[in-house]
Amino acid sequence: MAETNWRRIDIDAFDPESGRLTRKDIEPPYSSQITSQEVSSKISQLRSLASSGDSKAAVALAVSDPPYSGDEATKNEYFKAVLETLSTVRQADIAGIVGDLTPVQQDALVKYLYKGMSVPEGQRQGGILLAWFERVTQVAGVRPVSHFINDRNTV
Amino acid sequence: MSNPSVSAVFKLVKAPIYSHCFSQDKSLLAVTCKNDCLVYRFTNGTPQLVATLSNHDKTVTAVDISIHGRIVTCSQDRNAYVWEPLSDGTYKPTLVLLRINRAATCVAWAPNGYKFAVGSSARIIAVCYYEQENNWWVSKHIKKPIKSTVGCLSWHANGVLLASGGTDGYLRIFSGFIKGLDSKDAVAGSPWGEKFPFGALVREFYHGCYIEDVQWRSSVERIGYVSHEGTLNVVDSANNHSQINAPDGLPFNTLLWINDHEILCAGFSNHPVLFTEAAGGWQFAKDLDKPASADSSVHNAVNNNEDLDESEDASTTFGISALRKFKQLDLKGKVSADVNETTHENTITQLLSYKEANGQVTQASACGLDGKVVIYNI
Amino acid sequence: MSQSLRPYLTAVRYSLEAALTLTNFSSQEVERHNRPEIEVPNTSAELLLQPMHIARSETEQVLIEPSVNSVRISLMVKQADEIEQILVHKFTIFLEQRAEAFHILRRVPIKGYSISFLITNKHTESMKTGKLVDFIIEFMEEVDKEISEMKLFLNARARFVANEYLGEFVY
Repeated sequence: MAETNWRRIDIDAFDPESGRLTRKDIEPPYSSQITSQEVSSKISQLRSLASSGDSKAAVALAVSDPPYSGDEATKNEYFKAVLETLSTVRQADIAGIVGDLTPVQQDALVKYLYKGMSVPEGQRQGGILLAWFERVTQVAGVRPVSHFINDRNTV
Repeated sequence: MSNPSVSAVFKLVKAPIYSHCFSQDKSLLAVTCKNDCLVYRFTNGTPQLVATLSNHDKTVTAVDISIHGRIVTCSQDRNAYVWEPLSDGTYKPTLVLLRINRAATCVAWAPNGYKFAVGSSARIIAVCYYEQENNWWVSKHIKKPIKSTVGCLSWHANGVLLASGGTDGYLRIFSGFIKGLDSKDAVAGSPWGEKFPFGALVREFYHGCYIEDVQWRSSVERIGYVSHEGTLNVVDSANNHSQINAPDGLPFNTLLWINDHEILCAGFSNHPVLFTEAAGGWQFAKDLDKPASADSSVHNAVNNNEDLDESEDASTTFGISALRKFKQLDLKGKVSADVNETTHENTITQLLSYKEANGQVTQASACGLDGKVVIYNI
Repeated sequence: MSQSLRPYLTAVRYSLEAALTLTNFSSQEVERHNRPEIEVPNTSAELLLQPMHIARSETEQVLIEPSVNSVRISLMVKQADEIEQILVHKFTIFLEQRAEAFHILRRVPIKGYSISFLITNKHTESMKTGKLVDFIIEFMEEVDKEISEMKLFLNARARFVANEYLGEFVY
């Protein structure tokens, strides 16, 4: 019976010339991969900024140079720290912080917001992430969203 | 017309126009319409349908007219036809042997009108030329290293360098040198390289997301391209790259060089946008045909929602729901009235030069998904 | 409720606007076919774009999956208790059975969601993008209201029935 499935075999997948692109193929060519040490030192920097109450600097640091080239585990660790940072900011301060970010930082922030809303930890704080999202779109319009859906650099 | 940036509007068909092209003297206009290509002749500024080119049996994706008046069409049925104008106003089709097994997506005549390139979903660019002995159009393929559908093509004025972009996120420059048609003098001293055998990859730029359109500016040896993330990019032979975001955040579908330092772009925001190159790099210059109220429409909608919610809180009884319903419709109506004031009511798919003076484009024609062709003053 | 509903709908609106930038794209897998790339078992990763999750809470979410020529939008409608679960199920089934009248409605929601929409380049070519976005937003507003109204009616009816029925036993 196991033989019957041969009709469903995707023969093109065995053809190296087929030219199909996999998820791996469309990742941007990174010149170097970020190590977990570099990321964890950045995370501790983030935590110390957040605990000292300087939420503006903490958010700005969180969304600068995200570890795009890291592996899944590194990215997730960093993402948790970013989520923590974002959720500690008071509602009233959000608009001011978002306004001071550069366009590239805003793009990165939107990536973390979407990622946040895709996991249960973030969904529990949906209100906070949506408040951030609303402020970003007030400042930057639809641009960071357009960039997000097209960007192959994932967080 | 009250709008100074719109010179003429032609509502031609009730279907999306993916591509259009004017003949050299602007007396003929060819547009794609579903499975056909329609040819209009302009008499006293009004278009009159003179021919329907209907050999394709799938959506026609692109049309181009050569300097000699030959029309080439390509379609998702994997074929391309060259239509030779006859003296009685009809056209004689010749099938092009593309030898591709997926849709043809775009077509561009080389500036000299003796060959053209067809991009396809088969990850192939076919460069086609006429073979006298056999009396048909044959093609040569460029395959490597294209990894996905080719969506746009542009010839350099020298007729050899061919820029292409597509869904794999690379801008590539190939050589489309055909022995016997092109001479090596055309590319002598080119900053892009020394030798250009057919099919050679001259340069490759990684961009990441879909490249929607690409255009050469041969006089300054630069290439402009627009991508699906909503950016305009300009690259040159020294690999300098500059990028600018669309003011509306929505992607552009097409671009047109106005002069060496100005580019007109258009796409999903339904109106063209002009960019200029200043000392500090490329900048947004102005919107053409953009109603003042359009950009606030989204915020209006948000505010309306807010108002609604408040009124709901006030009226908890069911009796007022009918009133509320009409109020809501009224509010919603207002929102959409604000949005649709651009001349093109849907996405613009292609911009072409319509009139030029002193090396500067003064009028540009645009076609869109709403079935219109619009001439813009710049 | 307007406090967190507004940012939620704004987020959906912006996400949809960015996602509804579709082109006519013929299949690169199958000859002479033109199919929504988001719906087919896709072997070309480059044709799919980043999916967008928008969540108001764990039970109320929107998933927008864009691709080169189609967008799939899936709603998770809030279901606080079993009655709401039944009502949402009945309501969405009712709509899905009439899917052809809705053009963009998908007959089956994707797994884990209450209702799904599929917008292809055919839709954005024949309809205005702004109106499509308005429709989805309006639908999201309405469905919540509809469900809670139905629940109220149901409770009122149950109460009435119980009163009538139990009244028989009072002497």
